[in-house]
Amino acid sequence: MLFLPELTILGAGLLFFLLTLGQPSEATIKNCASAVAAVILFTCVLCVNQTGNLFYGAYRVDLFSQIFKILIAAATLVVFLFGNGLKGIKQDSRPEYYLFLLVSNLGLVMLVSSVELLAIFIALELSSFAVYIMVPMRTTATGIFFQMEAGIKYLLFGVMATGFMLFGMSYIFGLTGTTSLDGIAEQLPILANRPAAVVAMLMILSGFFYKLAIFPFHFWVPDVYEGAANETTAFIAAVPKMAAVALLIRLTSLASHQGEMVLNLLMVCSILSMFYGNLSALVQKDLKRMLGFSGIAHAGFILLGLLTFKLTGYASAVYYIVGYALMNLACFLVICQVAAKGENLGISDLSGLHKRAPILALTLTVALFSLAGIPPFVGFTGKFMLLLGALREDHLLLVTLAAINTAIAIYYYLSVVRMTFCSDSNGLGNVQTGFLANSLSLILVTVIIVMGVAPSWFVALAESAIKTIL
Amino acid sequence: MMKTLFSADGLVGLLFLFNLIVTVVGGIVACNAERLVRAVIGLVVCFVGVAGIYFFLNSPFIAMMHILIYIGAVAVAISFAIMLAAPEEKMRTGPTSPLSGPIGLISTLLLISGLVSLALKTEWTSVTKINDGSVKTIGIQLLTNHSMVFELISIVLLLAILGALVIARGGREE
Repeated sequence: MLFLPELTILGAGLLFFLLTLGQPSEATIKNCASAVAAVILFTCVLCVNQTGNLFYGAYRVDLFSQIFKILIAAATLVVFLFGNGLKGIKQDSRPEYYLFLLVSNLGLVMLVSSVELLAIFIALELSSFAVYIMVPMRTTATGIFFQMEAGIKYLLFGVMATGFMLFGMSYIFGLTGTTSLDGIAEQLPILANRPAAVVAMLMILSGFFYKLAIFPFHFWVPDVYEGAANETTAFIAAVPKMAAVALLIRLTSLASHQGEMVLNLLMVCSILSMFYGNLSALVQKDLKRMLGFSGIAHAGFILLGLLTFKLTGYASAVYYIVGYALMNLACFLVICQVAAKGENLGISDLSGLHKRAPILALTLTVALFSLAGIPPFVGFTGKFMLLLGALREDHLLLVTLAAINTAIAIYYYLSVVRMTFCSDSNGLGNVQTGFLANSLSLILVTVIIVMGVAPSWFVALAESAIKTIL
Repeated sequence: MMKTLFSADGLVGLLFLFNLIVTVVGGIVACNAERLVRAVIGLVVCFVGVAGIYFFLNSPFIAMMHILIYIGAVAVAISFAIMLAAPEEKMRTGPTSPLSGPIGLISTLLLISGLVSLALKTEWTSVTKINDGSVKTIGIQLLTNHSMVFELISIVLLLAILGALVIARGGREE
């Protein structure tokens, strides 16, 4: 039972491996993928109350990891459902695409349960490698010819960040003589004032900063978002970031004794991420590129929660990343439906969307309002809690700068909304949406509103989960 | 007390230094060679140096594996790839800013000096020797304490093979 979700994902991967050997029809692949994702989500929910250690203490199943597994599985299910037949992926490699997506999922699910440095490293690599391969699988029929370039950029920056992480891990091992997080947590307070411990911790964090796209590790974002297929970008924008936040919580809770130095650096990263992301997003014409830059800014906001080193701060970071994933999934659902051939969408391609596809226009509007931080949606409540938490820790300057950033961000989010509602369709035809996409978008809208209006149950759940690892 | 160069420790230190230099020189050749084949040779030299360092760190098995796998397999695979793909020589990327060299040099020097002073000033806990580093103990460790990592690595390798096949299968779409 402890290992059931992982085994299910492995089994699903095997199933798709078998599918790649034959020549299954489009419908078979899609139905298989949706069914498999639903089963994975079901097993994750089934195992939510399990606790225990596996693999000689390298793998820990607790409420914290199980909740993240449910979130990862749910987000993947949504990506699988709105994939729209994977229009952006080469036709002959669609089963392989699902296989890689599942393997990446396996890596992320194992990552949130790993409590040993080597296991963390390998699980992170597993999840990253699969995504590196998925990026260049985009077909050139979409009129985009730099998917290879995007894939290589993603790979090279990723290897660099991983190298930093490994180097930091070697320092930690040299200082403490152990690779298990428990052992490190015991010894780090004694080593707190040594510069080597601080440097090592920051280097390890950088591996996850890369996944979350925080400022000095953000260089891959715009090109990968633009070069990868819409479905791939939806996955990259939502799912790995949740796992990255889970690991950042595990690791920053170790670093909390290291005081000023780590705190200051996290603050600088947070401020730079917010300003860089928001200011660059202002001038973007491509919708996915804009969402990529806005993702950098949102990652800066999440750091606001982490650098409080407090339970409530961590809980609001979890709440915020879940909300962020929801809003992004909603945005990408719309993108995948509007881009009928899997092409990239400019912001001007959305003109008159309220006539061409009213439900999609509504979904996009709710998601963008929420990203901008307008009440009563989940984005507002998340930002509010993060700013409140940072204010309680007397980071007044940080909160002020974050508030300024919210104001900057409203401009570019709302200019997309303006394009959707206040311009003619310019001869662009109606968007064909199926029943599935419509109901999925309404569900996402409902969840975004409900989580924004009634956040307390989720925050309480997140707090009780984080208590198990502190 | 200064150790003389010709004592046992001094000679060992000299050999260690030699390995270090081989590694660094190999790395520099690999990064700066004009032709890809020469870069691969630089990589091989670098790997030999790293294997030597493993030997000094009391892990003869790892040193042997390093030579077998990295020089015997990886470097040969890269050479095959170069011969098959016949890449155009002297492909230069776009114009680089004249400032990029000095800025890179300065930041590298800063980073190196920082890391060196960090390594010198830190009191490292001398890790007690966990085991004898023999093949048998490594095997036992891999299948007990690190069994999860061991299994996951096999999935990573499978993924890499599949990924390479999927990307290379269709060739480039024109």
